[in-house]
Amino acid sequence: MGEVILTMKDIDKSFPGVHALDHVDLEVRKGEVLALMGENGAGKSTLMKVLTGIYKKDSGTITYEGKEVEFKNTREAQDAGIVIVHQELNMLGHLTVAQNLFIGREFKKGIRIDDKKMNEEAKKLFDRLNVNIDPKETMSNLTVGKQQMCEIAKAVSFDAKVIIFDEPSAALTESEIEEMFKIIRDLKKKDIAMVYISHRMDEIKVITDRVTVMRDGTYVGTLITEECTKEDIINMMVGRVIYEDPKTESAVPKDAPVVLKVEHLNAGKMVQDVSFELRKGEILGFSGLMGAGRTETARALFGADPKEGGDIYVNGTKVTINTPQDAVDCGLGYLSEDRKRYGIVVQKTVAQNTSMAFMKNFMKGIFIDKKKEKDVAREYVDALATKTPSVEQLVVNLSGGNQQKVVVAKWLARNSDILIFDEPTRGIDVGAKNEIYKLMNKLVAEGKSIIMISSEMTEILRMSDRIVVMCEGKKTGELDIAEATQESIMNLATREIA
Amino acid sequence: MVKKRAFGKLKGREVMVLGIIAAMIILFSFLSPTFRTYPTLVSVLDNSYYITLMALGVTFPLITGGVDLSIGTGLVSYALIGGYLIVHQGVPVGVGILACIGMGVLIGVFNGVLVAVMDLPPFLATLCTCMITRGLGPALCGGFGVSWPSALSESGAFRKIFKFTTANGTVVPIGIIFIVVLVLIMSFVLNHTRVGRYTIAIGSNKEATRLAGVNVKFYHMLAYIISGLFAGLAGVAYAATYATIYPGSGAGFELDAIGGAIVGGVSASGGVGSIIGAFLGVIVICLMKVGLPFIGLQANWQQIFTGLVLIAAVLIDVVKKKK
Amino acid sequence: MEKIKQNALVQKVGFNRIVLIFVLLLMYLMFGLLTGGAFFGFSRIANALNYAYFLGFLSLGVTFVIATGGIDFSIGPVMFCCALVSGYSLTMYGVPMVISLVMSVLIGVLFGTFNGYLVAYWNVPPFIVSMASMNIAKGIAAVFTKTQSVSWPQSSTEDGWYRNFVSVNGFPIGLIVFLLVAVVCAVVLNQTKWGRYILCLGSNEEAVRLSGVNVKRWKMLAYIICGTLVGIASIYFVAAYTTVQPGYGDQYNNEAIAGCVMGGTSMVGGLASISGTVIGVFIISLLQQGILALGFTKEYQYIITGLIVIAAVYADVSARRRKN
Repeated sequence: MGEVILTMKDIDKSFPGVHALDHVDLEVRKGEVLALMGENGAGKSTLMKVLTGIYKKDSGTITYEGKEVEFKNTREAQDAGIVIVHQELNMLGHLTVAQNLFIGREFKKGIRIDDKKMNEEAKKLFDRLNVNIDPKETMSNLTVGKQQMCEIAKAVSFDAKVIIFDEPSAALTESEIEEMFKIIRDLKKKDIAMVYISHRMDEIKVITDRVTVMRDGTYVGTLITEECTKEDIINMMVGRVIYEDPKTESAVPKDAPVVLKVEHLNAGKMVQDVSFELRKGEILGFSGLMGAGRTETARALFGADPKEGGDIYVNGTKVTINTPQDAVDCGLGYLSEDRKRYGIVVQKTVAQNTSMAFMKNFMKGIFIDKKKEKDVAREYVDALATKTPSVEQLVVNLSGGNQQKVVVAKWLARNSDILIFDEPTRGIDVGAKNEIYKLMNKLVAEGKSIIMISSEMTEILRMSDRIVVMCEGKKTGELDIAEATQESIMNLATREIA
Repeated sequence: MVKKRAFGKLKGREVMVLGIIAAMIILFSFLSPTFRTYPTLVSVLDNSYYITLMALGVTFPLITGGVDLSIGTGLVSYALIGGYLIVHQGVPVGVGILACIGMGVLIGVFNGVLVAVMDLPPFLATLCTCMITRGLGPALCGGFGVSWPSALSESGAFRKIFKFTTANGTVVPIGIIFIVVLVLIMSFVLNHTRVGRYTIAIGSNKEATRLAGVNVKFYHMLAYIISGLFAGLAGVAYAATYATIYPGSGAGFELDAIGGAIVGGVSASGGVGSIIGAFLGVIVICLMKVGLPFIGLQANWQQIFTGLVLIAAVLIDVVKKKK
Repeated sequence: MEKIKQNALVQKVGFNRIVLIFVLLLMYLMFGLLTGGAFFGFSRIANALNYAYFLGFLSLGVTFVIATGGIDFSIGPVMFCCALVSGYSLTMYGVPMVISLVMSVLIGVLFGTFNGYLVAYWNVPPFIVSMASMNIAKGIAAVFTKTQSVSWPQSSTEDGWYRNFVSVNGFPIGLIVFLLVAVVCAVVLNQTKWGRYILCLGSNEEAVRLSGVNVKRWKMLAYIICGTLVGIASIYFVAAYTTVQPGYGDQYNNEAIAGCVMGGTSMVGGLASISGTVIGVFIISLLQQGILALGFTKEYQYIITGLIVIAAVYADVSARRRKN
């Protein structure tokens, strides 16, 4: 095992209301691949952002090649030899591969850009990495996998000594992953240190040397990959936390009518043949890791994105949902994880947002019945305990939890019976979380039915009556709350290569 | 070498536009025997010079994902100012030409600051500059029309860059040589220099370009300066081709140039475009302008067609993107 | 400052509008003093206003489009197209006056529908649609009139009654109509479903779509409203000037957008105020009158209007940046 090239010690970082990193340690050695694992929100990305200068740490030290360092931006980190390969690609689709690799540092011959030399250099680089990409190809014509290779090649071309892969395989196919692993093994031989962030257990076993596990912003421990099992890692990831009143059995009677039935829903790569049923008064949890296709399923169901096929039955009747309008007419309501973009119109008032989905109901002839609008909004503000000085407050001035309640009010005002909560408590502080949970329980008690997409294991176990687990666009299992454990869910959510 | 590169690999869109040009020529020739004459060719070319020059410049802002609407009224106002200096202030023609081009660059810088530094929406910022330049020429020159020196006078020699009359009275449109040289130069700039590379990069993904360490503000601004520079050159070409420049005209000229560029495959949403394509697109517009009267339609039909062709060209992109 | 802003009356009227009114009065006073009092006087103002109503209608129209986050700078040439086509029909083909006026409005509606359809249903960028429409409007007008200018009937003739829309014996009917239309626009924008959706989709189109609203239809509607008002504007243009020439009209785009932006309508959409637009239009026309009264030519109007719009847009952009 190589010598230590990078040490992060006692790293601490807080955001308003969140202690994102709580005295975390990390050690990376030359010529090794270190897996960094943890549930969503465990602090992996934050730690890497602190390392590459995107975030400033509150305390702690970073030692790199024997010296203490603190990078101000990614560019400085890059120059020092620490490069991050992002999950989202920073590419220029209209330029060629070689032009992308050398953007901002072109070779020149007089005033002329020496594209020939750039192509040659790119070719050399690809040869060195054993990848087969034509440097003259336009970037947008490449598959996502090949684009990812280009990003890796770019990182290598910076003479990187430490390369961080942030979920590099999320969008890759089987063979592309194989190809990437080949590159990683080559880089290992060249004594380059790598940090590999991934959720895929099997990949971790295949490619990494050590595994560092984080949980809730803290460092849990480091294992030698060869010596541990998948179960060891999962146990470290989930820990042994005691949950606030977790559900032990479903509150829904077995004979409750099915209000929503989805069969063979297909929409692109992220939604493949998904089928499930939702009963009246039930909270159906959708669990899975980031990129499992849960949000995509919800959006396709709601008509927000086009779908390729699938049958939807509402209260036993087959319905056609091609646009959100159709969905709303069927009694569906969608609460997006990104409230500001998809949920509310921030520059409008609480009352205006409340009435948005059901203007018809707030008309007096051709005019908007503003009194009724405000009265109804006030009703929901009281019922949901939304904290706002008045219903004429602009939504932009409310906190995240209260904005969420405004979105709930919008759907309640529309009499929607089936609500899809996509990450209902993301970006909401603990106190407000409990309120949202109470609200959801109240809603199902009143006969509404809820689909809850959540990446938080505790949330899933606490709220759901039944749990659908997805992985890579497919439904991998369905668990009754009585039989569900963190381990069983995690097992279904992580992929097994056959 | 450069020439080979520029003409060696025509893109699909350019071939398509060439086909349209050929079809139009055949159609017009077929419908009107008088179309197939040398004077018509000269007339098409004469009409194309200033539009082509504008198009060469405006292609840059278009590729960054913006637009420059000030070039039309701009070129008239620069030509007015240049002409005013020559005719009324007695400066040498060369200085007048430089003043004309210089004004263009100045307004280009102004637009660049508005868009790249102050971050205003390009169409709105340049729409304002369009108004400003419309007033600027007449305001500085007293609101009268100006005629640059005629080709017959000694100081009118500059007109011969565009149209040369031989001793026996044959007109040679040598301006086309000048234009072709500029087309090749700008094609080189767009495809083989940092300026062009970063122009495309900005149009493709501005944030990623910035993260790559490129001085995005500078290159974004430069696109508008190039546009202004060429509007200045177009002013000279306009003054050389037409007898008198009238204040208040020029509104709508930019549409011929932008329309031509977009017909030639420059994308309205940025990132894509070629100089050769823009040049060919302008030829289509000019053929319509000159050719339609030959088949019995008023010249103004050209405007309607330009509008429709513009939308059709963008719709092709929109539909392609949907797939 | 904060105290003033919290005053009940100030809150009701809106701080920005009060500032605008002050600007308006100050400019009036300034021009009055600079011209040695010649600028004051009701008849002079009323007379000047006669030539500004059409601009007001254009501004009101484009306010709806800008509220959706789009832009339409084909309005000037389209207005000319309305006036020319219907005027030519009136004078050359003997179409009755009433029908000509209806035609004017209908042509405006047609262009609005065309623009709106392309923007909303085909996602063509608004500035391209504007450019195309501008060309098409100019082309149609020129082809239809064979590039002749059109003179609408004078007041003294039998058909001259249409000029009463502007003023009757010095009584500013136009002002009353304009304010009435403005009130209707304000009601539409603030009190009806149409306006609510137009404003909301300008602010966050995706959120409105996901609320189950047919955003395309409402977006198109904004352009149609704009087209209708452009048609009305054309009537007020000819009623004031009587003569229309093909090939022009561009300059009014900017003046109309200027009025709208001055009044506090945000260029990124979602925030629009009809009363602001009304005051904005008054400021712009007062400015133009003032510039002329001070002995400058209309070229200076163009320059100053251009600079003012830049300043107003910059203020809007930087206010937005501060907020984020």
